[in-house]
Amino acid sequence: MVTQEQISHYIQNIPPVPDVVKQTLGFVQSGDLIKAAKCAEQDPALKLYLKTLINRPIYGFRNEVSDVSQIFGILGTSTAQQILYHYLLTLLVPQEWKLFALNHHAFYDLQASLSRKWEKILRHLNLLSRDTESAITLLPASIIVCDALFGEHKSEVEQLRSVKALDYNTILYRLSKQTLFDICTVIAHKWEMSPSISRIVHAASGLDQNLESKEQLLAQWIHLLLFYELSQSPYVSAGLNEFIDFQIEFVQDIYESFMQVVEYDESNR
Amino acid sequence: MRATVKGRVAIFHPQGFLDGNNAPSFLTLDDIKATEALNVDMLLVSLKKVIFFNKNGLDVFIKLLLSIRNQKHITVGLCDYDHTKFKTINAFYGSNLNFSLFRSEKIAELFAPTNKSDSKTILLYDDDPSQRSAMAIELFDYGHNPVIAQSKKEFNEKKQNPDLYYAVIDDTYLGLFGQKIATRVTGNAIIYTISNFLDAEITNTFNIDYHNNSLNVGFRLFIFDAYKVVSMNVHALNFFTRLASSAAEYNATICFVGLTFEKTPQSFKNDLEDAGMLFFDNMDDILKNKELLQELGGSSAAVTKQVRTLNKTLVNELPHFVEATVSTIAMMTNAKASKESMNVQTLEIQNTTNQYASSIGFYGDVDGMIILVFPKEIAKKACELLIGESTEEEEIILDSLAEFVNIIGGRAKALLGEKKHRVNITLPRTYHDVASLMEMAQNKKGVQVNLSFEGSNFIFFLTR
Repeated sequence: MVTQEQISHYIQNIPPVPDVVKQTLGFVQSGDLIKAAKCAEQDPALKLYLKTLINRPIYGFRNEVSDVSQIFGILGTSTAQQILYHYLLTLLVPQEWKLFALNHHAFYDLQASLSRKWEKILRHLNLLSRDTESAITLLPASIIVCDALFGEHKSEVEQLRSVKALDYNTILYRLSKQTLFDICTVIAHKWEMSPSISRIVHAASGLDQNLESKEQLLAQWIHLLLFYELSQSPYVSAGLNEFIDFQIEFVQDIYESFMQVVEYDESNR
Repeated sequence: MRATVKGRVAIFHPQGFLDGNNAPSFLTLDDIKATEALNVDMLLVSLKKVIFFNKNGLDVFIKLLLSIRNQKHITVGLCDYDHTKFKTINAFYGSNLNFSLFRSEKIAELFAPTNKSDSKTILLYDDDPSQRSAMAIELFDYGHNPVIAQSKKEFNEKKQNPDLYYAVIDDTYLGLFGQKIATRVTGNAIIYTISNFLDAEITNTFNIDYHNNSLNVGFRLFIFDAYKVVSMNVHALNFFTRLASSAAEYNATICFVGLTFEKTPQSFKNDLEDAGMLFFDNMDDILKNKELLQELGGSSAAVTKQVRTLNKTLVNELPHFVEATVSTIAMMTNAKASKESMNVQTLEIQNTTNQYASSIGFYGDVDGMIILVFPKEIAKKACELLIGESTEEEEIILDSLAEFVNIIGGRAKALLGEKKHRVNITLPRTYHDVASLMEMAQNKKGVQVNLSFEGSNFIFFLTR
């Protein structure tokens, strides 16, 4: 099963932030979107990613947007930072998913859907900021890490789960005393993300104790949002419903508000 | 999604939201086939981690459950819910509720056969007197001691002392229950409760897999509690004579207790006696008579007259069984177990203190039994992944040891399957000390492999 050496090896192989992305992020964070666009132009892969993303139907542009400075102008600083973190995550996405029945398309849809709903939630909570908005970008890293660590052990996990309903996060913790979210924190640190981002994502497990009231609230919403998404048909089929343990009591008191914010329509189901 | 199997109960554990849009995605065709192939007595869906569900979502699972019940006559239903969810489910299905509801997994397990012989005291209440009675009868037939509260007031009063009861049952419903003959274990005897008029239907309601399992793991005394039997026909007679023949292969004894012959032909009794069945008036005539119990095989399996010997087929497969054990330990602990020595002998345990043991039988193209004997600390270490936090509670450790041995059995089954040997595995059995294991295993010749794990030795023993 997963060993400490395997985890260490995985962490060692997390790619650093490419220089161009680092500089672009710096300009975005200082609010200079023109310089950020010029910098991003230097990385063809980043440019292509931004172009593909902004021209997806979710943004609703009739004509193709191809100019990078125009793209940054449309996104604004908060969303631009979020998109750059999304791009960073693509460096971790496996060519072929081994554990979960996912593909690039389904994973990017999950990222986009999480981001869209998270923004709604933050607006509802009046807690929208650059860091809180960006926190959602790191959350899917936990899925990538899980696939990377357990991909080679799929049949072993199936045997274990045939006698006990254990989720991947619990199995990893019992084997190594580290959770998937601990490894996400390491990724955030390596990518020099704000500590508040990694704290929110860490708390998304629903298991963190002694959180400040704002972090506790964000943790509840992000945990329920994660399970809302992982209950969607494509992700259930992909095997993501068994990814981590759903802490139902942790989110019980925000459930009604959540259903209103995500506009869950019971009558249509 | 695959169901998790514990003992004779299989449970699906969906999480999050369950509605008509996503529920079909939980069950692929392969999942449905795998569920249909399960050898269990109860199939449930846990709602513990489901925050929202609607009728369309539940119906997807219920459809599968009912189809499997129709094929296999097992108990199906939902479990692990709170009072609000219980009321919602009742509102959804109303008078069409034809599956069972168990407030918790622990309560559900009380209504399923196990290998354990401990009788539990259970407080129960239901507004509906017929449900109250049905639950009490089932619990009693499964060997438990139900305490029935006759009113809500009495129930609430009694509930104030939860330490007196293993479980408190409310918000529970038995739907189309009693499809299988209730089974309980007393010491080394298995008791089946039969009632009413017995006919060809008994071949469906008698759990022949459980019975074969029990024979394979060493039970040698089987008692039919027949106080409530009115009569039987020739089909039931044929069934019992066939059962007696198969028991004879294992030197097992089958008894009837409380069966009267007012409406059953006396010739049936003669036929059954010829087949080797014994008849007693009262249960205590057997269970309280130690000498008789020993003679019949209900005090230990060591009294069997004919010891089943190892055969070439089984020995040929030994490497698979050892590999299944060693690889399971490696999977669960990330540490390697190594082989120290191997001999054909009777089970020999040097240090008999502070040891746990467990066994699992298999039958089919190859039959036999794997026995593992561990020092307690090693057993805990091997099960750490299943237990989680460290615990000293013997019942939790032994339950996890059973799950651990079940994984080994599953692996052995898969390895044998690759060689086209089709086998089924029995329920695992655990022993809290060596003495209770030796009651079953002494005199049995087998292959003993002494294995070393983290500086301590443990024993793998393969026998028939």
